[in-house]
Amino acid sequence: MMEKNRVVLYLTIAALVCAVLFPLVTGLNVYYLTVLIIMVIFIIFASAWNFLTYSGQGSLGHAAFFGIGGYISTLIAVKSGLTPYLTIFIGGAAAAAVGLFIGIICVRMKEWFLAMVTFGFAVIIQVLVASQFSSVTGGWDGVAAPPLISNTVPNYLVYEYYSILLIAVMVILLFRTILNSKIGLAFSAIRENELEARAAGIDPVRYKLLAFMVSAYFAGLAGALEIHYLGYVTPEIFGVDISFWPIIYSISGGLGTLAGPIIGTIVITLLWDGLQSLGLTYGRFIIIGVILVLVVIFLPRGLVSLPEEIKKRAPKWKVRFNKLLSK
Amino acid sequence: MDIGLDIFLQVMVWGLYAGCIYILLATGLNLIFGVMKVVNFAHGQLLMIGAYVTFSFFVLTGFNPYVLLAASIPILIVIGVSIERLCFRPILGTGKLNEIFISIGLIYILENVAAMIWSDEWKVIQSPFEAITVTIGSMKIPVDYLIIIVTTVVILVGLYLFLKKSRLGLAVRATSQNRKAAMLVGINVERMDMLSFGIGAGLAGAAGTLWVVSGQVFNPYMGSVPAVKAFAIVIIGGLGSIPGAIIGGLILGIAENFTVFTIGGAWKDAVAFLILIIVLIIKPTGLFGEEAE
Repeated sequence: MMEKNRVVLYLTIAALVCAVLFPLVTGLNVYYLTVLIIMVIFIIFASAWNFLTYSGQGSLGHAAFFGIGGYISTLIAVKSGLTPYLTIFIGGAAAAAVGLFIGIICVRMKEWFLAMVTFGFAVIIQVLVASQFSSVTGGWDGVAAPPLISNTVPNYLVYEYYSILLIAVMVILLFRTILNSKIGLAFSAIRENELEARAAGIDPVRYKLLAFMVSAYFAGLAGALEIHYLGYVTPEIFGVDISFWPIIYSISGGLGTLAGPIIGTIVITLLWDGLQSLGLTYGRFIIIGVILVLVVIFLPRGLVSLPEEIKKRAPKWKVRFNKLLSK
Repeated sequence: MDIGLDIFLQVMVWGLYAGCIYILLATGLNLIFGVMKVVNFAHGQLLMIGAYVTFSFFVLTGFNPYVLLAASIPILIVIGVSIERLCFRPILGTGKLNEIFISIGLIYILENVAAMIWSDEWKVIQSPFEAITVTIGSMKIPVDYLIIIVTTVVILVGLYLFLKKSRLGLAVRATSQNRKAAMLVGINVERMDMLSFGIGAGLAGAAGTLWVVSGQVFNPYMGSVPAVKAFAIVIIGGLGSIPGAIIGGLILGIAENFTVFTIGGAWKDAVAFLILIIVLIIKPTGLFGEEAE
């Protein structure tokens, strides 16, 4: 067990070193930087979504929090002139407040209800932001968002990348700390058996709400980062796609593990960009959909469990292979 | 705001007609949930496929689009059965959230296959009866609305008779009530899964046809809004309850049309969500829902 922990630690350090050195090695290539920035932002987003599943809940509408974070942070930054590095946290707080509201409504519900309500919420909020609040939000045209670092600064993308990477590392360390604490233990107790958890003196409602708020907060933070990086925000940020990406990343990587969303985001983003460069517009969605279905059916613990699965099945394959040879 | 009786009735009829499409979707969802305890989140996409099937046959054959129910329902039944067999059966009884994840994959696949076949432009067709209205008292009702309401009633009565009077329907209800006991008395529950998923998809196909006939626009990505409303109805009426779906659908259809009439069209899509939240606060299991296990 100790051995495994050490392997994980080395791998983590190696991954971080890669993340830090990659832009330097590629000579501050702008295309790679943009890919990396989006990737790291979605690592935060997917990790936030995944955090929710630790408590046995699931959301199909995290785009709502992503978008609320983006909109609130933008509007405050525009109105007050504060730097986006401060307003992103306010955006996250707004998302957490909305998350609390949604959470209170559905915390006592079965997972289907929660999924339906969150899914519906994201669709409805898009309509509202686009039409009802268009005087503030600019309707479907959206609003311009102040950039994280002014693009007059030389190599501003590099600074943006490193600052976002730093935030991502801190967020994941925070998740790790929470999940290794008593709270994390309570989450898994609730996830495994809510009745038994209650018998053990854990209040499932409180912990589920906490998980929902934390998840919404960091989804909002990720949304705010994305919007300030892109420089504009439109109601399309509440799209079904945005809700589905963190789910796809987390599942393909491995649900309920810290590494899962990170690995999933990296693998699927690279695959996605690869398919795009092959010129598949609709085809790539279909391929991602098929991969998702196959992963859920055949590799339910995601890519993280791949080495384990191979180890488990390797002897069988070996036997079969030898049989083939002896024939 | 002063609303006269005739306007009130008029809005009621609009609501009834709007509710019909949602009822068909929600009934299918509930039937599937009742038997399999699975929520198909890609149900709105089945409606979308139904709409495109109707559209294609309409362009090819020029038949009256109502007749094309005879095409969209069987085709969607076949699609539904294949989806159940290939995607949902392998994950039955595994993790609680897996069916949701499978549905997401299905949404991507269905939407983009549709976009590949039919392009992603908005499409619309005209009903042959578009210009005809029926005057009842002081109300003017497009005859299409009446046909849609009657069609829905016929489909639902058919489903009711099937579930209540036929032996196969009895088996479906038995599986829905107690899967293990149904298995013990020799019912092939996996066949019931396939059957209920097929019927649910067929109902979504019928809803798709009615969507097209009523002159509403559609594109490959339109499925999620009607699906959200169907979910709202399912929650309002109670998960797994077919009478609940019908009443919930009527409530939603009428409420939506009153909203359009009084506050404005932009709130139309939000009202489903507001009703949903109110119902959830008052009665979390829905109006007709079984108590949670």
